[in-house]
Amino acid sequence: MSKPSPFSVRGRRALMVMKDEREISTVRRQLDRLGMSVIETDPDQALSPQDPVQDPVDVIVLDADGIPIKSDRPPALKINAPIIALIGTETPSRLKWLLDLQPASFLIKPLRSAGLYTALVVAFDCAQRRLEDAAHVEKLEERIRSRRLVFGAVLQVMRSHALSEEDAFTLIRQTAMRYRTTIEQLSTEILAAGGMPNRTARSAS
Amino acid sequence: MTKPSIPLGLVFSRSGPYAMMGGEMEKSALMAVDEVNASEAFDFTFVPHLRDPGGVVAAYHTACDDLIRTEQVQHIVGCYTSASRKQVIPIVERTERLLWHPARYEGFESSDNVIYVGAAPNHTVVPLIQHMLKHISADVFCAGSNYVWTWETNRVLREIVGNAGGRIIAERLLELGETAVDHIVREIIERRPPVVFNTLVGESSYVFMRALHAATARAGLSIPMLSCSLCEPELKLIGSAAAAGCITSSAYFESIEDDENRAFVARWKARHGSESSVSVDGQSTYTCVMLLARAIRRAGSADVAAVRRAAANHSYNSPQGPVWVDPDNNHCFLTPRLARSVPGCRFEIFWEADTPERPDPYLSNLDLASIGTRFETADAVTRRSNHLRVIK
Repeated sequence: MSKPSPFSVRGRRALMVMKDEREISTVRRQLDRLGMSVIETDPDQALSPQDPVQDPVDVIVLDADGIPIKSDRPPALKINAPIIALIGTETPSRLKWLLDLQPASFLIKPLRSAGLYTALVVAFDCAQRRLEDAAHVEKLEERIRSRRLVFGAVLQVMRSHALSEEDAFTLIRQTAMRYRTTIEQLSTEILAAGGMPNRTARSAS
Repeated sequence: MTKPSIPLGLVFSRSGPYAMMGGEMEKSALMAVDEVNASEAFDFTFVPHLRDPGGVVAAYHTACDDLIRTEQVQHIVGCYTSASRKQVIPIVERTERLLWHPARYEGFESSDNVIYVGAAPNHTVVPLIQHMLKHISADVFCAGSNYVWTWETNRVLREIVGNAGGRIIAERLLELGETAVDHIVREIIERRPPVVFNTLVGESSYVFMRALHAATARAGLSIPMLSCSLCEPELKLIGSAAAAGCITSSAYFESIEDDENRAFVARWKARHGSESSVSVDGQSTYTCVMLLARAIRRAGSADVAAVRRAAANHSYNSPQGPVWVDPDNNHCFLTPRLARSVPGCRFEIFWEADTPERPDPYLSNLDLASIGTRFETADAVTRRSNHLRVIK
C-alpha cells in the first residue's frame, strides 16, 4: 500500500468538535473548498462515554476552549485520528489539558481562511509518522521480547555442537539467512526441537 | 462654546447571569463620564453608547461590531468575563480600536488593542498564596466554579504550594451558577482542612459561604477562607455574618484610607445612595474611563495610536492609588492589598504593597524559591516581612 501524501486532502473526512457558530462556518467553508467532507458533533457529546461517532474520520478539529477541564480525569476523546486544536486561551492549565490530548497541530483563534490547510497537512503528516513510529517501536519491542529466546537457542547450540558463544551465534545467523527466516524465528524452532531443526523438514513445511 | 464630543462604547451585561457586576460597572462608567463632561479640565465630552449583551458570549461580538460601525467609536470600555473579552479582541484588532478592560483576569494574554486595567495574577493570586503559606497553612482545600479563572488560579496554587512542601487536599468544582453545595460543605466539615481557597463566583459562592458558615458554627469549627474576587456589594448579598472572616486579595477596597478614595466613595454614595457600596470592578471601570480621558487630553485626539502612546507610563492618582499603563504589555501597575471581611459588610485592609507593582500577565517573573517553603526558619520569616508593610 502506498503512503498517502499529507498534501492530498480531497476526500478526507473531518470531524468538527466545536461550539461557536462563526468559527464553525469559517472551518466548514474552508474544508468545503479543499474538497473534504465534514461531520459535526457537540463537544459535550464527543466526550460522552458512549462514543457516538461511529464513522471513521481522518482528522478532528477540536475547539480547546469549548470543553471544561475536569481535574479528576484526563480528557477521553475515543477517536483515533489526529487532532487540530483551536486555541483561544493560552493559560498553562488549558495547555496542559491540551498536551494530554496530544494534538497533531493547532490554530490560534480568531480563525481565518488562511492556516487551516497548513494545519491539516501537518496533522496528516504527523499522523502518518506516528503510525510509522509505532510500527517501528513494535518491531523493536518484539526483538527485545525474543532476546531471551535467542539467548536460549545460542546456549542450546553451544552445548549440542560444542561451539563457543560467538560461533554458535554465527551458525544460527547463517542458518537463519539460508532458511530466509529471522534469527528470532529460528531460535524459537531451535528451542522447540532441542537443537538445529531438520533442514528438509523445514523446507517441506 | 460647546466642547467637541467623543463617542464612547460601554459594553456591560446588565441582564443575564452576572447582571449584578455588569450593572455596578456600567454605573461606575457613567459616573466617570459625567465627571469628565462636567470638568473644566477636559476640553471634550464623552457621549456614551450603551450596549447590553445580556451575558451571552456571542452578543459581545455583535455589540462591539455595531458600536464601531454605527457609532464610530474608537474606544470601548467593557467586558467582564474572559470569554467575552476573547470575542471582542478580534474586532478591535482588525479595526484598530482600543478595548479598556476593567476586570481582573487570569493572565496569559497581551493584545496591543486592549488596555488591561484590572489586576494581573501577580497582583491578586500570588500575594494571597504568600499570605496563606506564611500565616495559615501549606495544605489547602479548593472549592471553585468550573471555568478558566478557577483552573488557572488552582494551577498557580498547586505549583506554589507543591514547591513549598504543601498539597491540595481536594479540588471541588461546581458548574457556573450551580447552588447544590451541600456535598462540598459536608466534606469540608468531615476533613477539617486548615484553609479553604474559594474561587466560586456569583450565586454559587454566596450559597456556599452561607452554608459553610452555618455548618462550621454547628460543628464548633473555625476554618479560614481565602478569595481573590469577593467585593463589598457581594458581602451584602451573602449576609453580614456569613460573609465575615474571608481573607481577600484585591487592588481595591472601599475602605482604603486615602483622600482620593474617601472623596470618590462620598461622590458614589451621593449618586447611588448611602446604602450602596463601590466594588473593585466598579472602581476599576471608573479608573478605565479616567485613564482614557487623560490619555485623550494628553494626545490631543481620540486617535487610537496617539492615545495608546499617551497612556503609557502616565500615572493617574485613582481611588485605588497611583495607576499607570505598562507599555510593555498594556497591563497596569497596581497596588496589591489583602483585607479581611468583617461584620457590617466591610473589609479591613491589613496589608498592602509599598509601591504599585509591575504587571506580570504571564507570571514569568514568579520566583518560586523566594515564596518560601512550609518549614521556613524564623530568620527567613523576619527577612521577608521587611518588604511587607503592615498598615493596621
